[in-house]
Amino acid sequence: MPMFLRSHSRLFSRRLSLGLLAAVFVLPLAMKAQAASLDEIKKRGYLIVATEDDFRPFEFIKDGKPTGFDNELVEDLRKYAPFEIRQEILPWTGILAGVSTGKYDVAITAAIITKERRKSLDFTSPIADATHYYVKRKADASINAIKDLNGKTVGAQAGSALLSRLPELDDMLKKEGGKLGKIVEYTSYPEAYQDLALGRTDFVVNTIINLKTLVAEKPEVFAIGQAVSGKSYPAWAIAKGNTELQAFLNEFIAKQKASGRFAELQKKWFGEAFPDLPVSFEPEF
Amino acid sequence: MIHDFGIVWSERGLLLTGLANTTILSVLAAIVSLALGILLTPALMSRHPLIAGMARTFVDGMRCIPFLLFAYIVYYGLPSLGLRFDNWSSGLVALMIYNTAYMAEIMRGAWAAQPREPIEAGIAFGLSEFRLFRRIILPPLLLSAGPVIGNQMIQIIKDSAFLTIIALPELTHAASSIQSRRYVPFAAFITAVFLYWGLCLVIEAAVSSIGRIADARR
Amino acid sequence: MSQGDIAAIFQGAVVTVTLSFIGILIGLPIGLGLALLRWAKVPIVANIVALYVSVLRATPLVTLLLLLFFALPNIGIPIGPTSAAILALVMNTSAFNCEVWRAALADFPKDQYEAAQSVGMRAGQRFRRIVLPQIIQVSLPGLVNEMSLLIKVTPVLAVVGVVDITRAAVRIGAQTYEPLPPFLVAIAIYAPIVFALVSLQRWIERRQSAAQVMP
Repeated sequence: MPMFLRSHSRLFSRRLSLGLLAAVFVLPLAMKAQAASLDEIKKRGYLIVATEDDFRPFEFIKDGKPTGFDNELVEDLRKYAPFEIRQEILPWTGILAGVSTGKYDVAITAAIITKERRKSLDFTSPIADATHYYVKRKADASINAIKDLNGKTVGAQAGSALLSRLPELDDMLKKEGGKLGKIVEYTSYPEAYQDLALGRTDFVVNTIINLKTLVAEKPEVFAIGQAVSGKSYPAWAIAKGNTELQAFLNEFIAKQKASGRFAELQKKWFGEAFPDLPVSFEPEF
Repeated sequence: MIHDFGIVWSERGLLLTGLANTTILSVLAAIVSLALGILLTPALMSRHPLIAGMARTFVDGMRCIPFLLFAYIVYYGLPSLGLRFDNWSSGLVALMIYNTAYMAEIMRGAWAAQPREPIEAGIAFGLSEFRLFRRIILPPLLLSAGPVIGNQMIQIIKDSAFLTIIALPELTHAASSIQSRRYVPFAAFITAVFLYWGLCLVIEAAVSSIGRIADARR
Repeated sequence: MSQGDIAAIFQGAVVTVTLSFIGILIGLPIGLGLALLRWAKVPIVANIVALYVSVLRATPLVTLLLLLFFALPNIGIPIGPTSAAILALVMNTSAFNCEVWRAALADFPKDQYEAAQSVGMRAGQRFRRIVLPQIIQVSLPGLVNEMSLLIKVTPVLAVVGVVDITRAAVRIGAQTYEPLPPFLVAIAIYAPIVFALVSLQRWIERRQSAAQVMP
């Protein structure tokens, strides 16, 4: 076990090893992946789509099959697109980074449009209206309005816009003389909800759509509170500057809206349709 | 690429906090599990079938399930039985209990390899049990088990990385957080690997110096 | 816990066993190759191997897996979750296997090797008929130990979306809010497999020490 230390005592191997270490850092300079443009995608014949593994009701796995709002649209896209759709299902924390570095062409997931993300990503037309709300334990009588959230522990998904827009809630609380309590980050929302039920956190912040689904599934455990943010729209994410792919996807979305399929899916998965979604959206936050 | 490392450097606070958490977690778990393991070893070797049986079941049980599964059970399963820890405590408790089993097994093996003469001499000299343990038994035991304990410490450091899955803000969690927000996966994780490697070199150096002390004593 | 849930855990078991098997199968010969490179003291390459083994033994599997999964595409090598999982497992286990093989090679009596050389055996034959059988025997306990360790780190593959036994159990618990039953099923699957490997290792060690005692 201390063998490497011993071999290191020879000057030649130490210099060599340091040199190799340096090479490890320099090597990636040479190659950096670029996102594929629409022409390249058409030429190679497939589009790589990333979806999240457990984000109800947008995408999740039921009985071994991917389903949900976004997954149904992926199936529609397969029929619409002149190329093959290859889907990769993975945890949220890998998705946007993968799109930004060119590993995936598009993330067909509910990625909320934020200023920070706009620096390295472009977005399609919004797919839903997703103001942020909080959910609490139904039995918790201590929380009835925003000001009751003062100092309470909040759970949110790591790397999400819901987490990064918590300062908005903090501002709301500050106006009433309070502030945000401890923040706990989770890999995915099912774990956050479970901890809420267990009492490790006092409230969880997510979009109204997700929370409505949760409360529909578990009405005895949870109750939805009030809005904790301004306007918020989720959309599909693509690498920055990939304008042709963006146009292609926006055409698809427009077509789905025109044929009524979009509203049909929204009603099915969200409980209501959002007919007045903007075609593009510049975020304030 | 240099730009990516610049981003990682700008987030060094988070990384260093993660490194500190990993170190604290691992050191605490190592010390406590070693202490508990030493206490458990006599039970393992006891001639009393019930005590030996229970100890053996515990040790074999811990060695037959994955650490991550055990950590999940402590974090998500125990609340059903009324014991609710936060993620830090769950991680620490899981590390401690899991490694107590391994430490007990290590000490048992080291004990079996110990020469009996010094102990018999100590008994003949009339040393009390406690002094016998502290001055004759324990020092050579720890010294001879040094390398294996060092190995186990490295294992503890690596097991602590699993706890990123229950959102414990240790080193891998910090690197993961940086890469998921700033999109610098290579730089973030290579830095984390480098830091883990550094930690292990420190442990190996400590083990070497213990080995030198052991040799000097002989 | 419903029928579907138990089926989901068993599906996870298939994934766990398959990936472990592939990892072990590929990791064993690679570990041997690495050990031979160091044993033969091939210049430069032996040092690279030493560096590789040292870093990999110090790196947690979860960090290695995340690194491979996110960073490789960053430098132009696309890789999916399953491939990243197998690659991480193989890299990890080959480093540990290398040390086990190396210890066996270091103990190998040089005179046997030289005797074979003097009799005129070719290098390949020398290796296959004299060295390999003996080092396999010596390495066996360590290698079996490494196999059980590999199975015990497979839950980590969940971070890139691979649904193994543990991930399946956690997901069910997160839906039903009754986490203990699926966890118990998970234990019931892991424990026999690992226990079988650990018992195998003890049996091999006992047989070998018995063989050594006899004159």
